[in-house]
Amino acid sequence: MTDSTHPLAYEGPAIAVRELHKRFDELEVLKGIDFHVDPGEVVCVIGPSGSGKSTLLRCINRLEESQAGQILIEGEDITHPDADVDKLRTRIGMVFQQFNLFPHLTVLRNLTIGPVGVLKQDKAAANAYAKEMLGRVGLADKVEAYPSHLSGGQQQRVAIARALCMQPDMMLFDEPTSALDPELIGEVLDVMRTLADEGMTMMIVTHEISFAHEVADRVVFMDGGVVVEEGPPSDVLDNPQTDRAKQFLRQLHEH
Amino acid sequence: MDLTPRQKTRIYVTSMYALAAVIALVVAFAADWERIGRNFFNTEIMADMFPDVILIGVRNTIIYTALSFGIGLIFALVLALMRLSTVVPFRAFAIGYIELFRGLPALITLIFIGFGIPLAFSWSIPGGTLGAGSMGLAIVAGAYMAETIRAGIEAVPKGQSEAARSLGMSKTRTMFTIILPQAFRIIIPPLTNELVLLIKDTSLFFVLGSTVDSKELTKFSRDFMNLTKNATPLTVAAILYLLITLPLTFLVRRLEKSAAKAR
Ligand SMILES: Nc1ncnc2c1ncn2[C@@H]1O[C@H](COP(=O)(O)OP(=O)(O)OP(=O)(O)O)[C@@H](O)[C@H]1O
Ligand SMILES: [Mg+2]
Repeated sequence: MTDSTHPLAYEGPAIAVRELHKRFDELEVLKGIDFHVDPGEVVCVIGPSGSGKSTLLRCINRLEESQAGQILIEGEDITHPDADVDKLRTRIGMVFQQFNLFPHLTVLRNLTIGPVGVLKQDKAAANAYAKEMLGRVGLADKVEAYPSHLSGGQQQRVAIARALCMQPDMMLFDEPTSALDPELIGEVLDVMRTLADEGMTMMIVTHEISFAHEVADRVVFMDGGVVVEEGPPSDVLDNPQTDRAKQFLRQLHEH
Repeated sequence: MDLTPRQKTRIYVTSMYALAAVIALVVAFAADWERIGRNFFNTEIMADMFPDVILIGVRNTIIYTALSFGIGLIFALVLALMRLSTVVPFRAFAIGYIELFRGLPALITLIFIGFGIPLAFSWSIPGGTLGAGSMGLAIVAGAYMAETIRAGIEAVPKGQSEAARSLGMSKTRTMFTIILPQAFRIIIPPLTNELVLLIKDTSLFFVLGSTVDSKELTKFSRDFMNLTKNATPLTVAAILYLLITLPLTFLVRRLEKSAAKAR
């Protein structure tokens, strides 16, 4: 470590998953996953329902506990029993399919409850930053609104802003547009596209193949708890090698 | 003679109205209205009861209820959190407590707190009737409300705690800033019901004895009845109880309706 301005600067993948196994009782859902995301990289994860995409994503910030294998976040093994999970999670932004905004809090409080309560930021500074992030997702006028008064697309954009307010090193998205009406999907994808362009490290589980094609640096195809194929979108999406990937993509196109 | 179903219904309804009218007339003429009025609605006795029935009876009922409810709510919250804890002894204690005090008559608990403990340990809960009675009712109400609070906590979607945890909040912070505020919103109607039950249960305080100033509404009225050899004080007490409980019951119904709409 010679760089004095960034004493903690870490050269290597932002997320590295090695031989990860996860079971729910008898059901083995992840059967030895090897997977990584480099800093600034956007990785889209696709695959049929039940293939373990959400489980993998949730293991990465330990919403699920894995049984074997390693998960390294910027080089630090977070599956270690002594790992500080709460601290780890402040560095990883998470966006859920169902938005999961806090319905009893205003949009502004949704955005500042993490920075003020967890990161112990000054309230005025947190408010200012939250308003800035709301502006970025195009919802500057919704500061005092309650989540129930927003459309699905607006709620998901607030959820993204909420994650951004923690100033995370990377972000995880679990089917962020699957719960949205078709006409509201675009506004959320636009925000994510901007984030990707700005260099945010992102892991996105999605069924939006054209979005993945456009934004992803790499696409990972999962099936049956293993990574079946991975590579640049032009390979995996346009020219899949395995039968399972071919069949999955053909079915998506039929819809 | 064949009747259509509609005609049958009409005959049935008409005869029921007729029967009700006959019963009402018989009661109206046969009842001794003068006697009923003198014994249940005696205006002189009513006038005698005021203002003390309010200043002592209603006042104490409200104080006892508020204290029992407040302490009971704290007990209930602690029990509910223990009940949901992953620590087995906590959970076992909470289950044991809840089943015990829901299974016993509240009167037994009150007598136990008011007389059992002082007999055994030569120590009594400070505050006399107020202290022992409120503590006894709080112990019982805590058991009931613990289950209500637990149901409320479990009714908050799992995604809420996942979102909070993924912001780096600890379990405790998540519980107090995200889960409980939502849980309490959900359980305001059943908690208000619990409050209504508690208002009525303060009448059990009579077993603990009372001084002139510590009588709650029921005890106050009963003593007034014995003094005047007349049932009017009971009528007054009943009306006063209803004046407190009915608005609360209506409130619960409205809250439940608006909650059902919000869903
Ligand atoms: N909490 C749980 N308990 C038991 N089984 C679970 C649990 N969560 C997920 N599973 C199972 O694990 C498997 C993988 O689930 P997962 O949600 O990771 O799939 P997915 O790839 O995200 O699917 P989808 O596209 O439908 O979201 C499924 O068979 C699912 O039923
Ligand atoms: Mg999923």
